[in-house]
Amino acid sequence: MKSPMSIGLAAASCLSMLAALFMVFAYVPTEAEQGIVQRIFYFHLPCAWVAFLSFGIVAVAGALYLWLGHKIWDDLSYAAAELGMLFCTLVLVTGSIWAKPIWGVWWTWDSRLTTTFILWLLYGAYLLLRAFADDTDEVARFAAVLGIAGVLDIPIIIVSVRLWRTIHPAVLLTRQGEHGLEDPRMVATLLVSLAAFTVLFVWLLWLRLGTLRLRARLAKLRKDLALLEIAGAHR
Amino acid sequence: MLEGFGPILRKDLRLELRTGESTVALVSLSVLILVVMVLAFGPGGARRAEVAAGALWIALIFAGTMGATRALLAERETGCIRGLLLSPVEPATIYAAKLAVAMIFMAEAGAAVLIVLVLFFNLDFGAALLRLVPVFLLGIAGLAALCTLLATVSGRVRAGAMLLPVMVVPLFAPALIAGSKASAAVLAGASLASVATWLKLLAAFDVLFVAAGYLLFEHVIIED
Repeated sequence: MKSPMSIGLAAASCLSMLAALFMVFAYVPTEAEQGIVQRIFYFHLPCAWVAFLSFGIVAVAGALYLWLGHKIWDDLSYAAAELGMLFCTLVLVTGSIWAKPIWGVWWTWDSRLTTTFILWLLYGAYLLLRAFADDTDEVARFAAVLGIAGVLDIPIIIVSVRLWRTIHPAVLLTRQGEHGLEDPRMVATLLVSLAAFTVLFVWLLWLRLGTLRLRARLAKLRKDLALLEIAGAHR
Repeated sequence: MLEGFGPILRKDLRLELRTGESTVALVSLSVLILVVMVLAFGPGGARRAEVAAGALWIALIFAGTMGATRALLAERETGCIRGLLLSPVEPATIYAAKLAVAMIFMAEAGAAVLIVLVLFFNLDFGAALLRLVPVFLLGIAGLAALCTLLATVSGRVRAGAMLLPVMVVPLFAPALIAGSKASAAVLAGASLASVATWLKLLAAFDVLFVAAGYLLFEHVIIED
């Protein structure tokens, strides 16, 4: 879709992503203790933020669909779930790449890893439900209910897994109000990267939502056409 | 508010008393899962309490999801769900009644599992087992709430029987952590007070999902 909105979002995400890449590789100083591998953090955290954001959208749009019943909310919820799955996967992958040199293992059952992994499984269940079922209003309601249940679960997952075990570094804020990014340039890079990923997410969401809307229109046109043919055959 | 709760509950229990299908299916399935666990991990060892607690929860999750699928399929085959929807009973009340029935069946299966667990894992009868009861009841309340809500969904899509555990297990994960940690602790001899945090977590999970199921059930049960 060549709407001005789409072109604007594409341009904004290209430019902001270029800026983020420049800052990550050329501007920000290398972290003293972890070395070069720490730079992946500027992609890791924005991915996590976008994954959480899209999970929120899945639930809110799902609730709006149950309340108002308009198909666009269901399409938004579906599009957000797909992107959430993508970015949640990226969080796990970038986290693993970072964890191998720093912790010495690809995977460990730390609290945030476990929480993210459970979220990933929830997304997976949501998308499997969509994949197994036809695109009907009934399934849209089922998906909305599952999405809402998933988001309601997040606080309890976080608490339970934190009580279970944790070794993840407190990157942003610790209880004492300190954060792990000592250099202001690191904070700037993180903020630009966050903005870039958010714009990219909005663009992708916009594209996917457009595709889903078109698909719904196509299904309706096909149905109308079939009805017309039946009417014509009877005449 | 809960008009119709009693009759639905009585109907399901009477049906069960006459056929015994759910009890037999749930009990045999959960005992089989225990046997698999014992064969895979061995009955003894220092981590006896942990393995026993794990076996208990694995048996519960899979027996629970299968039981819920079965109960709902039977309802749909006989057209009972449609009858209930046509009757002047609130969908939320149907949910409450179905939840109560699911809890009773799971508690039955759980009781059978506990007895077998004691025998298989050589646990001492007595206080430890009594302390397991509240942990266990809090756990099945949450599981039954989830299964009752989501079995309605899985009953109406392709490959639903496979999809139900896929949906239930990640959602149940926090309760599973709390439940198995608390069970392992009390089986190893800890007091209930020492696992209070886990119990509170289980209770919070129950309240959340019973409320969510109560409010959301009408959206999954209505048919187009």
